[in-house]
Amino acid sequence: MNAPVPALEVRGIARNFGGVVALRDVSFSVREGEVMGLIGPNGAGKSTLFEIVSGNIRPTSGRVSYFGRDCTTMATHLRRRAGMCRTFQKVRLFESMTVRQNISVAASQCLPKGRDVQTEVTTILAQLRLEAQADRRPSELTLADRKRVEIGRAIAGYCRLLMLDESLSGLTHDEAEHLIEEILALNRARGITVIVVEHVLSVLAAMVKRLVVLHNATVVADGTPTEIAHDPVVIEAYLGTKQKTLR
Amino acid sequence: MEAAVSDNAGRKVASSSLSAELARRRAFICGLIAFLLVASLPLLPVNNYILAATVRALIFISLGQAWNVVAGIGGLLSLGHGVFLGLGCYTTGILFNKYGIPPWFGIWVGVVLSLLVALVMGAMTLRMRGVFFALATVAVSLAMVQISRHFVDLTGGADGLALKFFGNSWWAAQSRTPAPFLYASLIFVTAYYWITRWILNSRFGLEMQAVRDDEVAAAAAGVPVFRTKILGLLVSAAMTALAAGLYIQFYMAIDPEAAFGLSQAIQLQLPALIGGLGTAWGPIIGGAIMIFLSEITNWGGTKVGISGIDILVYGLMLLAVVLYAPKGIVGTVLRNAVKGGAR
Repeated sequence: MNAPVPALEVRGIARNFGGVVALRDVSFSVREGEVMGLIGPNGAGKSTLFEIVSGNIRPTSGRVSYFGRDCTTMATHLRRRAGMCRTFQKVRLFESMTVRQNISVAASQCLPKGRDVQTEVTTILAQLRLEAQADRRPSELTLADRKRVEIGRAIAGYCRLLMLDESLSGLTHDEAEHLIEEILALNRARGITVIVVEHVLSVLAAMVKRLVVLHNATVVADGTPTEIAHDPVVIEAYLGTKQKTLR
Repeated sequence: MEAAVSDNAGRKVASSSLSAELARRRAFICGLIAFLLVASLPLLPVNNYILAATVRALIFISLGQAWNVVAGIGGLLSLGHGVFLGLGCYTTGILFNKYGIPPWFGIWVGVVLSLLVALVMGAMTLRMRGVFFALATVAVSLAMVQISRHFVDLTGGADGLALKFFGNSWWAAQSRTPAPFLYASLIFVTAYYWITRWILNSRFGLEMQAVRDDEVAAAAAGVPVFRTKILGLLVSAAMTALAAGLYIQFYMAIDPEAAFGLSQAIQLQLPALIGGLGTAWGPIIGGAIMIFLSEITNWGGTKVGISGIDILVYGLMLLAVVLYAPKGIVGTVLRNAVKGGAR
């Protein structure tokens, strides 16, 4: 019996920076269509893992597969064209361009042949309720809208896996809830697999059915939000009393 | 309710794009008037000094536009575009003097050589982020100064190379009067303006601007960053080398400092920096102002017996632009126009 090919599979990833171990033997996989949360306290290795999966850092060892295809050493822009999309912890937009152009850049690179770039851009602007902002520059937008534009740019053209790096941080409670709704809508409407990286557990509990917890450079728990919330290892990781005294 | 909001916003967008359209039309009319004025200069009762000064301005505008493509649109700070100017000039000159090959053909060899040098320079440095590319361009410039001094037989060494003069001649692309060069350089300025406009509005231009704004984000948006940078450099190098053909035919001589020297490289950057980086009009406005001021100050300088005031004027102008109009003259005017239009 064949299990379906996972959207993303991370096997035995390790990464050292000089003598510092940022990640060791990290393994997990994400099913197609799943919305998964990746959490961990500051310094757990989330960012390093994120950069390895999106292609900006090469792992010391281990491999990353995307829909069954090894992409450990694939160039960043080729990953994006294959549908691996990401946002940044600190929003990175093309500041000299309008919102529409920001999204057009990605759409023109990643759209399958024969489809119209402007139609795609208009659809995305509508989906993320950015029509009114389309001809403004990013510096004129609120943080919530800037994050929307970044998500729009991330999914434009072709997207099968969306990786969000702390996209909810810095937002008010309402803004975060709206953004979560929109991300879930994208997940449903476009069948996009979503990985959300956050360091606050509570934000994610409402959004995802599965959480992977990273702590001290490795995966320490993997389960539903309820399971994770009661996991003694996770509680320890977040409250950290024992860990700190041990050090 | 939502329809009302989007309608309101739509109207706002429409009004701002309307004012942008108006500004564009005004700029086009101004450009057309300037073009006709310059084109009719030889027919007016003006002396050759003014014609020659206009040609100098137009040549610098062309070279500035070429630099603008890589630095203004692409954000790659080349401090050594003199390399491509020099390669174009020397190749054309050597092929003509030594082998009798007319500049109409010689210049294309110069363009190919420039492309090769740009390719090697780019391949070595453009994969890295930061200042490596800028430093490499300086290093290549300094090396070229020494190389051109060393091969005295070919280049004339430190004294430079003077084209053999054939008077008014089509095949040698030479003329006793500046008028033919005025038309040629006007064609260059117009063509380079349209090339820049085309790049700015093309998918390639969007890629270059994305890379300029944020390389990491550009890659994450699917842009092949390295390829985009190399292509931008190649286009700019070819444009510079081609305009160098005009330069050598007009000045009739080239020497290592005028070709590869750093002061020359800086002069190539000034039109775009003063006029407005990354805009098609910037180098035109900047170059015109620059040559106009330098001619006036040089004329005034010789009257009172001081030379080299033009360099001082360039410096002061650059300082003023950096302090009061960091986006250049065109960039600042454009921003104010758009803001005024939106209100």
